[in-house]
Amino acid sequence: MRLHKKICKRLILLFMTFWLSGCAPFTENKLIEEISPVTFLSISKGDKGKLTVSTIMPPLSKEKKFVMSQEVSLLKEGVQKYNLNFYQEMKSGQMRMLVISDELGRDGIMSIINVLLTDPDISPRIYLVIVKGNFDEYLESQLDKDENFDYSFYRMLKHYEEKNQGELTVVNLHEFKNLLYTPYSDPFLPVFKLEEDGVNYEGTALFKDDKLVETISSLDDRIFQLINNDHYLVVLPIQKFEIVLGHVRSKVIVDIDSSYSTMTYTVNIDTRIEEYRGEKQLFDPKQLENMKKDIETHLEKQTHELVKKMQELKVDPLQLGIQTKRPFSKPMEEKKWIEMFEKMDIKIKYNINIDPLTDANSKRQNL
Amino acid sequence: MYMFWKKKQIENKLVAQSITESELSIEALKKSLVQMDDAEFVEIDISVIRKIHLVYIRTLIDQEKLNESIIKPLTKCSKPSIQDCITNSSIIHIPNFIEAKKQLFSGSILLFDSSQNLWLAVPLKNPIGRAIETSETETIMFGAKDSFSEQVEQNITLIRRRLPIHELKAEKFTVGSMSETSVVLMYIEGLTNPDFVSTVKEKISEINFDLFFDSSQVAAFLEDHQNSIFPQFQQTDRPDVVAYSLGLGKITLLVDNTPFALVAPITFFHLFQSPEDYINRWVVASFLRIIRYVCFLLSVSLIPIYVALTTHHYQMIPIQTLLVLVDSRSKLPFTPFWEAFIMLIFIEIIKEASLRMPTKTSQTLGVIGGIVIGQAAVEAGFASNVLIVMVGISTIASFLIPNYLMTKANSLMQLMLLVFSSLLGIIGIALGSIAILAHLNSLSSIKQPYFSPVSPFFRKDWIDLFIRGPLTKMLERPEHLKPLKLKRYKTRR
Repeated sequence: MRLHKKICKRLILLFMTFWLSGCAPFTENKLIEEISPVTFLSISKGDKGKLTVSTIMPPLSKEKKFVMSQEVSLLKEGVQKYNLNFYQEMKSGQMRMLVISDELGRDGIMSIINVLLTDPDISPRIYLVIVKGNFDEYLESQLDKDENFDYSFYRMLKHYEEKNQGELTVVNLHEFKNLLYTPYSDPFLPVFKLEEDGVNYEGTALFKDDKLVETISSLDDRIFQLINNDHYLVVLPIQKFEIVLGHVRSKVIVDIDSSYSTMTYTVNIDTRIEEYRGEKQLFDPKQLENMKKDIETHLEKQTHELVKKMQELKVDPLQLGIQTKRPFSKPMEEKKWIEMFEKMDIKIKYNINIDPLTDANSKRQNL
Repeated sequence: MYMFWKKKQIENKLVAQSITESELSIEALKKSLVQMDDAEFVEIDISVIRKIHLVYIRTLIDQEKLNESIIKPLTKCSKPSIQDCITNSSIIHIPNFIEAKKQLFSGSILLFDSSQNLWLAVPLKNPIGRAIETSETETIMFGAKDSFSEQVEQNITLIRRRLPIHELKAEKFTVGSMSETSVVLMYIEGLTNPDFVSTVKEKISEINFDLFFDSSQVAAFLEDHQNSIFPQFQQTDRPDVVAYSLGLGKITLLVDNTPFALVAPITFFHLFQSPEDYINRWVVASFLRIIRYVCFLLSVSLIPIYVALTTHHYQMIPIQTLLVLVDSRSKLPFTPFWEAFIMLIFIEIIKEASLRMPTKTSQTLGVIGGIVIGQAAVEAGFASNVLIVMVGISTIASFLIPNYLMTKANSLMQLMLLVFSSLLGIIGIALGSIAILAHLNSLSSIKQPYFSPVSPFFRKDWIDLFIRGPLTKMLERPEHLKPLKLKRYKTRR
């Protein structure tokens, strides 16, 4: 009898270990050789408000791959349809990228983001990417050439994400969610364009809430990386002056006046000249100073235009609204801020410090 | 059932017969030593009326010394007392028959002077035995090379040479009703906690068994927890380790006919300490000790983690590794658990075989084992490449633990975690680890907590726990051993 009681107590303890910790002793079959953990999903607009979900199957093994595409009205429905059409069960725990077509982006992607966020299997670190063009067709054409196209693409995004390499915008689900749901901020995503020679980085897509409104590219995108995203650029070519600035690091100081009518946006830059093909004699401090002034005005103009565009579109990816927050006072409503932001006079000021590559103050200046 | 019962009755009768002997006489001895070829009865005539009887077991005594120190002097003896003639240093008076037999079988020569009716015993033990050799179980690069042998007296000598102080006590006990094995309890009086000594003495007195051929058999009777897989006595054949342990306040048991001494109380962390730790420079020694702990964790958990990840947590595997894993696992007939289980059992078989086989054949074994495990298993599709690498790493890692008994415990823990991991994944490993930790915390070695100085916590002892601090900083003996003298230096006046 005593033994029975003892065993009973132990069983209760064991049961409680699982019960209290919320662990079910019934586990899903997740043997790696029996599942196919997809690495990415590509979502685009289908007919009649439906979604086209496609991916490469089988994702990891070295078997012959093919592009699987399903037209569905719900995202998870696509996952279920995959299972019915393929001998391995699809699992989303290894998902690394979500490729969204720009048409779908313009319609809004809130529902997709919410599905991903609520799935405990999906890591919040998956990269979100906007693609211009038909991605499915592109995948089909790539299968013969590059079997691990998806993996190479993932490695590229991962490379530029780590320690802000300053080349392209990389945004993961967690960051996107934060920008989407935080007041005074709007999300942005990288945009890739499908061309014959491959997938090319085009620029950054600006979102108003969950809807894509504008894509900024070339110098605008560089400036955006510099003042907001990475605060670092490996190279900043300015064709107008035939000059390339390298290792550009920025510090941004934002100042807003008490009436919230004017904002001063000061960008301090430390850089050095990497390449110059112009006529100016850069060893001459005066000419170098002139050059600096020219670059400053050029960047100020460009940045001003960029911010102007944002004001017109009523998007605030730079999170300037945070500047209106004051201690001991109720934060401004987002709507009110956007109205204010639209009319705000924003002054841009660049201070460039160019590290001399040679001793510019030496005797050689007179030569 | 009837057959067994009958047998028992016969045994009882035999026991009853052998007890009825008491009177000490040559005839009684002859009667009890009948049918023993090596029992010798010799008569030496000193004078016409005086005869000396010698009784001894030929195989147990030193024949040369017998001639030198007893027979030669006795034939020339003219003194009234034979004690004065014999040149041997120790002579024992024998009061009764039981004592006589005890002396006879421990290698003494019995002398009977019929004129004085005097029984004497002269110990002349046969010195046959191994010389002092290098330790094979605890090999080190630097440091003393001598190790214990099977003769307990010689072993005590080796310890006394290292600790030439009068406080070092050596108390002798006899255990085993048939083997009559002598067990020597050594400790330093005034330093070792008397509780340890009394605990061990009490346990030795409670031993009721017939045969003891090894110190581990004695340890089995002294241990607090017999069903545990963890050893509660440190077995060592190195006199320097024993002397160091004694100096810290531990007790040591030397068992006759065993080269392995028992040291107690020990903790779980003692199993990771090598004698070389105290010879190497402290930084190097600390590094090696940390590596040993890491290897222990690796050897216990690496394969369970592999099984957990491949069966339950594919999400946690880095995608690069997953590519390799899926590729190597795609055509295997077994699930990860069975694959790992079979490989581990196979490794155990090879380990055991290499121990039992003579050294000349072990080379063949190594080649066959290596090829079978390394290549054939993969090519035949029994195991994946990745698992072979992991089995290799965890097996080699398990060899880093200096204590051999612990290596055996390791494999069992690994198998237990393997089962847990295949059932519940990482949560299973966590539950299994909790179970192991709880068990370790409940253990004790001669009633001292097995997991100290971590729990119960002794801050100062951590200097010689996961790291081996500089000797000049280790000025106090470990607190968890509760020594009577804590300081290792002489206090200035």
